[in-house]
Amino acid sequence: MSKSLRTYVRFALTQRVEHLAMLLSFTLLGITGLTQKYPTNDISEFLVNLFRGIENIRGIHHASAVILMLVTVYHLITTGYKIFVERRQMSILPSFQDIHNAWQAFLYNIGLSKSRPQMGRYSFEEKTEYWALVWGVIIMGLTGFLMWNPIASTQILPGEFIPAAKAAHGAEAVLAVLAIFVWHMYGVHLKRFNKAMWTGRLTEEEMLHEHPLELADIKAGITGRVLNPVTLRKRQMVFIPIAGILTVVMLAGIYGFVNGEKTAITTIPPQPSPIAIYVPQTPTPIPTVIPTVSVVAPDLLTWDSYISPLLQQKCSACHGTMAGLSFMSYADAIRGSTKGPVILPGDGINSKIYIVQSVGGQLGQLNADELAKLKEWIDLGAPEK
Amino acid sequence: MSRFAHLKRSRQVWLIQGVIIIMGLLVAIAANFPSNANAAPERKEPQTNDSCLACHGQPGMSLKLESGEYLPLTIDPDHFSKSIHGKSEIGCVQCHAEITAFPHPNRTARSLRDVSLQFYTSCKGCHVEQYEKTLDSVHQRAIAGGNYKAAVCTDCHNPHSQTRITDPVTGEILPDARLHIPQTCARCHNAIYDKYKESVHGSVLTDEGNRDVPTCIDCHGVHNIPDPTTNAFRLSSPQICSKCHSNTEIMSKYGIPTDVVNTYVADFHGTTVTLFEKRSPDQVTNKPVCFDCHGIHNIKNPRDPQYGIAMKENLLLTCQRCHPNAKANFPDAWMSHYIPSREHFALVYYVNLFYKILIPTVIGGMLIFVISDSIRRIIEHRKGTTHK
Repeated sequence: MSKSLRTYVRFALTQRVEHLAMLLSFTLLGITGLTQKYPTNDISEFLVNLFRGIENIRGIHHASAVILMLVTVYHLITTGYKIFVERRQMSILPSFQDIHNAWQAFLYNIGLSKSRPQMGRYSFEEKTEYWALVWGVIIMGLTGFLMWNPIASTQILPGEFIPAAKAAHGAEAVLAVLAIFVWHMYGVHLKRFNKAMWTGRLTEEEMLHEHPLELADIKAGITGRVLNPVTLRKRQMVFIPIAGILTVVMLAGIYGFVNGEKTAITTIPPQPSPIAIYVPQTPTPIPTVIPTVSVVAPDLLTWDSYISPLLQQKCSACHGTMAGLSFMSYADAIRGSTKGPVILPGDGINSKIYIVQSVGGQLGQLNADELAKLKEWIDLGAPEK
Repeated sequence: MSRFAHLKRSRQVWLIQGVIIIMGLLVAIAANFPSNANAAPERKEPQTNDSCLACHGQPGMSLKLESGEYLPLTIDPDHFSKSIHGKSEIGCVQCHAEITAFPHPNRTARSLRDVSLQFYTSCKGCHVEQYEKTLDSVHQRAIAGGNYKAAVCTDCHNPHSQTRITDPVTGEILPDARLHIPQTCARCHNAIYDKYKESVHGSVLTDEGNRDVPTCIDCHGVHNIPDPTTNAFRLSSPQICSKCHSNTEIMSKYGIPTDVVNTYVADFHGTTVTLFEKRSPDQVTNKPVCFDCHGIHNIKNPRDPQYGIAMKENLLLTCQRCHPNAKANFPDAWMSHYIPSREHFALVYYVNLFYKILIPTVIGGMLIFVISDSIRRIIEHRKGTTHK
């Protein structure tokens, strides 16, 4: 049991909180983003229903993006503090040594090298992940801005940049999610469940295995030196105002990013169709049948001169060959119907033709003038000629 | 006295005749119209079409209605005999069932519209399927809401002159009948027809007799015509257009690409509309559907120099209807149904190409390392020489 129980601080509490915020926003961005990239997929459909509509999915995506932007601002400022105030080593910067280490690790894995590379505070795996994230945030931020503010963007850029941004945003998302699944999952969950991002600490043994060079530095007293408080204060006096201004500028930038443009997301309502729906054609396609012009009454009222043409026109449609009564000839008319005569010469008022016509409602209805003439003719004895 | 006796005698004659006729009629009906036997009215005297046309075949018959309108009562026998009802020897009294004798019963209709409204339900007797469909239509809803101008059966199909419009075997609308559909709707929707006949669809229907283009009913349906102003209609409308515009057989004749729907669905507007439609089909949306940009009835060829939205200035005006601040570059944010290529939207094409190379390279590289590392660790674990 020679194992040392000593542990070493790997991540401060603030860094762990930062990681958690990023973890949450990244996950939500990934889920809601891929749902939008593959909207017709069954899983997407399930998620759209789960979130009660694509608009909510977009809302969550935007809110998560804001969280990630805020995390980015926080990271920039705190990193600035570490670099400019604490003057820490920029141990996360990539170097040729990392490429060398990666190559050696690969050779070791395939059995062409005897030993694993010795690594410092950040292994090449961790640096890969960190810088991949930096690249991703830049790409997603820029392309996200273009999509969120297409109208403002196209005042300067060609319109084509918007679909290009959409293509890049979606493809980059796929890359990022796959990288997390392959690289991050393996590196810190599968290979060995690394709890340092939650506990903040690594044991001496873990340090020895994973960050032997850093451990050596710590033991040699190179890292973890306590700064002179006077120098620290001086540097803070310079850093804090500058960082304050930068923070305000960046926050204003985020505010503009989010609120700069409305109509790309909430467009004005569609205008109702200005066209009238009910516009009947004139004239009506089924033409109204106007009754033929009345026969003009002559001075001498006889069957031939007036009554025959009148009855022909008004009545013979039915009372020609059928309906038990015919007005086709003088004889037919005087003979009357199967039920008896309809014209009683000399007695207009009691003639059935007059009675029926006076009631009205006949298909061949005589007007008042015509009826009067008819009565007059019967009263005259219903002359033929 | 003698007069009453005469009447009594004639009544007996009528009665005997009537009984014979009714029996004969029932036999005829049972033989010829089994499905409509229930609907057949009783007859008091023979009502052959000839006996009706003896009077109603005469020109110039009309009846002045209370409204002052004239109800035409003449049926041109030639015309009727050429109609589908005439050819099928449908009896006048099958529809005019209230007419059983002469004189005819008094009309209660006070206007021409009343006449149509009183009569159209008689179509149900034979055309029950179509009739029931109309009960779901925007027209019937309008009538139920008190708008009696809305179309009933006879407004579109004049029962006395309507010729055959569907193929008796397939039930499909005959090609010639298609040509006349818009004119039928135009009787009431003339302003819309005026727009339609100028459109890329309507102009070739009227001018060239082109039978590929949609008529009114291809988009709006027949009989059960839905209200086209609802959200549900809006959201589902892209499917209407895609019926033809995704059909390579039709589109290849005109060199029109068939991926117009896919490219629409792939973009912001189309994605939203598709998802809205799937989730809640009557959701309110202001996201454009096909007809918001292409026009509703006045759909123009996109390359029409004056109105076509392939013209950037026209497209900008279209965009500005919803995005009022949009400037000249904005329309290109929409890829105009193009699939990015070296010729069209090259930037998008190269971005896609870049990621097509980058993603497999990066992820592949990661996988190679991860797999090699895990194999190594498994081997070490088995040997017991693992770090842990």
